Amino acid sequence: MATTTTTHTRPPFWRDAVVMKWLAQVAVLALVLATLFFFANQAGDNLALRDIDTSFDFIDISPGFDISEGIDTKPDTGGRALWVGMVNTFRVAGAGLVMATLLGVLVGVARLSHNWLVQKVASVYVETFRNIPLLVQILFWFAVVTGGLSPLTEETGPIPGWLIISQKGASIPRVFAADGFYQWLVFLVIGAAVGRYVHYRLATKRDTEGGDTRPNLMAFGVLLAFAVVGWFAHPVFSWLGSVFNGIASGIDSIPVPLIQALLAAFIITATVLWIRRFLASFVTPAGRAKMTDDDIFRVVFAGVIGLIGTLVIVRWTGLSSWIHNSGRDFFEFLAAKFSSDRTGQPIDAMKPQVVVPGRFPQLGPSGLTATQWFLPVFIGVVIYTAAFIAEIVRGGILAVAKGQTEAASALGLKRSQLLRLVVLPQAFRIILPPLGNQYLNLVKNTSLAIAVGYADLVNVGTTLQNQSGKAIQVIAIWMLFYLACSLTISVIVNYFNNRMRIVER
Amino acid sequence: MTEYMGSDDMLTIQTAVDAATGSTAPQAREGDEPPPRSPEHNPIDWLRENLFPNWGNTVLTIVFGGVILVTVRALMRFAFSEERVWGAVWTNVRLSMTYVYPEAQYHRVWISVGLATLLTGLTLAVWRAGDPVARRNIGRVITSFAAMAALAVVLAPFTASTKILWLVGLAILGGAGWAFRRASTHDQAVPPSYVWGAVVALIIAFLWLYPLGHYSFVDGAVQDPQPGTVAFSTKFPWTVVLLVGVAAYLIGTVIRDRLPSARLRPVLLLGWLLLVPVAFMVVLRDPSFDYGYVLGVDIPLYLAFALGGGALLWFVAAPNAGTLGRAVAAITLLVAAGSWGISLWFGVGMLQKVRISFLVLAFFAIAAPTFAGNEKGRRTYVIAWLTFLAVLHYFITITNTPSTVQDLNTPFFTGGFAITFLVSAASLLISFPIGVMMALGRTSKMPIFRVLSTLYIEIIRGVPLITVLFAFDVLLPLFLPANMDPSRVAGIILAMTLFGAAYMAENIRGGLQSVRKGQYEAAEALGMTTAQTTTFIVLPQALRNIIPAMVGGIIATFKETSLLAIVGIFDFLLIYKSIVPNQTAFRSVRWEGLLFVAAVYWVCTYSMSRASRRLERKLGVGTH
Repeated sequence: MATTTTTHTRPPFWRDAVVMKWLAQVAVLALVLATLFFFANQAGDNLALRDIDTSFDFIDISPGFDISEGIDTKPDTGGRALWVGMVNTFRVAGAGLVMATLLGVLVGVARLSHNWLVQKVASVYVETFRNIPLLVQILFWFAVVTGGLSPLTEETGPIPGWLIISQKGASIPRVFAADGFYQWLVFLVIGAAVGRYVHYRLATKRDTEGGDTRPNLMAFGVLLAFAVVGWFAHPVFSWLGSVFNGIASGIDSIPVPLIQALLAAFIITATVLWIRRFLASFVTPAGRAKMTDDDIFRVVFAGVIGLIGTLVIVRWTGLSSWIHNSGRDFFEFLAAKFSSDRTGQPIDAMKPQVVVPGRFPQLGPSGLTATQWFLPVFIGVVIYTAAFIAEIVRGGILAVAKGQTEAASALGLKRSQLLRLVVLPQAFRIILPPLGNQYLNLVKNTSLAIAVGYADLVNVGTTLQNQSGKAIQVIAIWMLFYLACSLTISVIVNYFNNRMRIVER
Repeated sequence: MTEYMGSDDMLTIQTAVDAATGSTAPQAREGDEPPPRSPEHNPIDWLRENLFPNWGNTVLTIVFGGVILVTVRALMRFAFSEERVWGAVWTNVRLSMTYVYPEAQYHRVWISVGLATLLTGLTLAVWRAGDPVARRNIGRVITSFAAMAALAVVLAPFTASTKILWLVGLAILGGAGWAFRRASTHDQAVPPSYVWGAVVALIIAFLWLYPLGHYSFVDGAVQDPQPGTVAFSTKFPWTVVLLVGVAAYLIGTVIRDRLPSARLRPVLLLGWLLLVPVAFMVVLRDPSFDYGYVLGVDIPLYLAFALGGGALLWFVAAPNAGTLGRAVAAITLLVAAGSWGISLWFGVGMLQKVRISFLVLAFFAIAAPTFAGNEKGRRTYVIAWLTFLAVLHYFITITNTPSTVQDLNTPFFTGGFAITFLVSAASLLISFPIGVMMALGRTSKMPIFRVLSTLYIEIIRGVPLITVLFAFDVLLPLFLPANMDPSRVAGIILAMTLFGAAYMAENIRGGLQSVRKGQYEAAEALGMTTAQTTTFIVLPQALRNIIPAMVGGIIATFKETSLLAIVGIFDFLLIYKSIVPNQTAFRSVRWEGLLFVAAVYWVCTYSMSRASRRLERKLGVGTH
């Protein structure tokens, strides 16, 4: 590691900064590893003492409980139960992200309104909801839903049969993908591609020859035409079903070791490419720049990571066969959706419905329902997060240099145009990173659902933990799930952030 | 994970907000006063300008006005409905503050609160906190308060005679405020202490005069509320505690001019740092010392480490200690590591205090060259060691001493707001040094430190707090040796600390990145070592830059402590959520308790954020 120059004699090792720094680092690393080892060792002893095992077998056996809502209320395995919980987390988080963004932007703009009253109301909103713990808010909304709304009967409204808001939750008509949806989707995709081409041609024409060629309108018309034709003609794409069937059986015939080999080759290639690119960055016209010990560490670290990845792929056959099965299942699913007997209309809708299975009326499955557990979590995270988003939006708008608005006003833009064309695009660049942070917080905050009994991942996991006693495994699954969610949101936001960045010359 | 998530972006937005609040759009600055010399507005002109400038805004004003009226009316009807049992809140205030803490020992609670008000009074005086308040603004605030209260009264479900009585009272108040405003000129202002004094006087007057009613438990049974003011056992201690604060302020105004503030301020800061542990461990917990052991073991042990360690540090901190000094420091570290290794791996019983003291001494010895200097510097360093060691030994002793107020049926001697406060304060205090270390690690040029810190920070920031709490609550006993049996509260504090440290680290990293490169270069040019640059140049500037972000972190942690309710610790929230609705007298009374909890949290966090904004403006942070 020592890369000191040889122009003077080397100091003794205890005065050599590079040596001492590495010594300290290795010592700390050893200490951290020793501590972890100590705890793992203790845990092993304690687990053996209490007769707790660390196997993941609960994933494949019956969980022994029902789930109050979700894609499968009577899961037949523990893994399925956790999956239902994850989907419920996605549901509340996804709906929450959209609504919180809308409300947050609205309140943020309202805080900058020239109307005194509007601005004060927005300020009071932000200061109230930002400063009360989310858990208290969720419990409050739970009390409102279960104690403040009317009980569910056949006649519960505001609009009975169309919009039901009751103690058992809220329900509206549901629009869903019916028989021919996927075939119709193919029409839409083609229509979008053609529309984009038309837009490109017309926009080019407008820019070169002048005159308004209405590219947006024409492109939308093309898309609409495809949608209308496809509504009736969608069975023509049924042949895609056999194509997907073929792909599925093709994947099925690939041996798992080949997939392992491909994955390993991919990881090795990626590692080698990264290291080569990194090394190439040291080559300057003036010759090869000197690498610090830190740079060498980066290369070694990348190599070690690549090696570990390869080892995981090689040793863990289960991962590859899971990927293998998932790929096959995906295409089989598509093939089923494109089967030739699916000739009905692509989209259908159903009104909500009150059913009385026992003594108590319930909201039937036909409508789009937000249950009494979903609602408090949803309202809570939306209102809470929107207060933070509003502050971010306000800060972002105010951060756009004053000269920009003045210049836009001088050009004669109206206030709405000024906001839409000059201020918001620039503000968005500032808003995006902290907005991404708020999205992360929102997803993590949905875990408070356990306080009101909404069947999200944490709630299902806690029940599973109580049933099976597998605390360590369940907690590990929680953390991996939320880490994966955070990572995904980070990657998406980072992608847009890079795209939006000012290109500097 | 990705880089953009760092708080440098948060700083950007913070800077943006500051720049904005500092320069543009006076409307955007909520709660702010118009510039002193602005021309007097005619109310009609003001309305036309701010509410009805054009058609669109007129519609908006009417719509939002309607929304406000409906909301206020609903709130008033809810709050003053016949169904509301506010007695459930008033009866359980003590329970919600301290939970199982015995009534007979309650004077200890008041001593703790008194210590806090004492420090508050002294701090306000010594720091000369607050700006003079313009008299015109006081008048304006009184008038607008009266106007808003009048609106609420009109919409409330009161009888006509009650309404008229209230309205007349509010009209007199509002008129008085208006007259006060008209009678004052633009440059007349009152010192902030007058305002605080008035607030204290109002609280005391409320306690002694307002007929709220007297709610109480006797032997666990709820008594019918007695008419009259609040119980003597509540209003008397509060009055004393508040007057202690006032007295402390007056004393502070006297001593701040006689003593140098450079001496006074560190002492007060130390007082604040010690307040939480002293109040909880010493006053509330009331340890029952075994004085024979204290005299025979604890004090000799302290003296041995104080004298031996002091001499060692005196030598190591000498500027010419050189290689020998380093060798001594290294040997100390080896001895410390050995003492830990022997006791952990070979199970040799050794006093925990000895091991910890060796370790701390080793760190002091290693850090000594950074602080090396003349006679005075060395003396300060040794005194720092003696003080730190005394505090450390004291708290180890207290933690290991049984409490006299511990109720054997409960896992912890107190609960309610006390535990909310304890957990947030303790986790913030402990997570600060960890956060500093992690931030330094993440920005370090040393790759292993960087990788470890980044991994830690990003993993913790990627998972929800509730999973971390569950993990520590359920798994901590599994990962510790069987003879170590930490209390649940300790596990929770540890979880909150480790969780908070990751966020703290990101805040501090933002501060570190805001220090200009020239500072590093200048320090290097002066011949400072990396440790000296970090300690004396970079960290002070970085920490000053992130005070607003830190207050944000404090508020977040304070709000997050409500999650204790989910893991079943009887914190402030869980008492009103679970215990009160199960009392026979208040069967299923939920709303009132939740609203009270929300109100208390709101008052705490809102005042913190206001104070931070004020501080931010005063320090000029963010307005480069």
